[in-house]
Amino acid sequence: MAIYGLNSIRTFSNAVSNRVVNAFPTMTVNSDKANKAISWIGKHISSPENRLILGVSALMSQPFIDLHNKKVDEDTRKVSAARTVAKIIAGTSTGVLIRYGCIKAIDAFSKFPEEITATTKNPRLKTFFTPFEAIKGGLRDLRHYKSALGTLVSLGVMVFTNFLIDAPFTKFMTNKFVDKIHEKDSQKQVQNKEVRDAA
Amino acid sequence: MPLKPSFLAPFNEFVAKHYGKDTGKMLIHTGVVGWILSAAAQVMAIVVNDKIPKEQKMYLVPQELADAGVNILSFYTITQGCKSVASKLVKSGKLLPKTIRGILDAKGLTDKVGSKGFDIFKDAALTPAAIKRLEKFKSGVDVTAATIGSVLSCNIVTPIVRNEIAASRQKDLVARMNNADTNHSSYVKPGYAYIKHPSMYDFTHNSSSLKV
Repeated sequence: MAIYGLNSIRTFSNAVSNRVVNAFPTMTVNSDKANKAISWIGKHISSPENRLILGVSALMSQPFIDLHNKKVDEDTRKVSAARTVAKIIAGTSTGVLIRYGCIKAIDAFSKFPEEITATTKNPRLKTFFTPFEAIKGGLRDLRHYKSALGTLVSLGVMVFTNFLIDAPFTKFMTNKFVDKIHEKDSQKQVQNKEVRDAA
Repeated sequence: MPLKPSFLAPFNEFVAKHYGKDTGKMLIHTGVVGWILSAAAQVMAIVVNDKIPKEQKMYLVPQELADAGVNILSFYTITQGCKSVASKLVKSGKLLPKTIRGILDAKGLTDKVGSKGFDIFKDAALTPAAIKRLEKFKSGVDVTAATIGSVLSCNIVTPIVRNEIAASRQKDLVARMNNADTNHSSYVKPGYAYIKHPSMYDFTHNSSSLKV
């Protein structure tokens, strides 16, 4: 059932993308700088950088979406935005750090056979994640492989850190932000009262 | 001593085969797995929480699953769509770097660009060096498209859809509670009868799962 659903989404997505591609004009990237930048992105941007971009852009969009949600009252909007900001900061910082750490860890255990010398300790451990294709000499670039494996491992780690770090950190920051919001609101109320009394 | 593959070899081979060259694909698939794990963790947290009555769990678990469905569907459809368009633009020759466009023009293949079934990697008889250059370009375009797709789905579409659903759910719940309070004979959906009126705290603290 789930596979049928995924296939349907893929078929729909394919049909839409075919139409979009047909409607696109032919384009050539003429600038050397732009071509270099595109190649650099393909080589260097991986899941930690992707998560960072997601987090930064989330900070620039999601709180404003919450603040403009007219279906709930003003106080709910403010608290909802505060919670969103806290959630993004907690999720992004742990997400980026854990992804980066896991990719580094995989890198340490995905060495090529030529990097193993007679003095290397635990040679089997150092090649624990090296694909057999690379041991045989067929695969020479492991950058994307290490990123992929590191990201998969980090997802397993984050199931636990989601509760152990993200949730309490989010709660702590939300409470801080909400206290600040309520403090500002009560100050405003006092100021308004003073203005009214003076009038 | 010759190195032997570890017992993880089949898994390592699988990752190398499917994601060893395609970072864009990896970003989409790990993104989906991330959303699934986030939702599974949230559901587990509800299931194993002794402080939540069984009747409330009957309501909260489907609610979490519905949220997860929205997150995953929006993420996969939009991100996969963006990546698919980007890949096809390069493969069909509609989006190319200057050097490769020059090769196509020199070979008299300009008319074939964008035509049905044309695959520049197979049909243009490019040299291995040109293919390598084009693969680097395609990888950059794919990653850019996947990143734009994930920003669009995670930061714009999903929050708007989720806010709509959460607001209508809150409204529906309040209406049912009021109905149950004033008219004891009316039917109250199982699970709803045991739930207290939703507060602002409930709305802002339970409206979505934490993205990993």
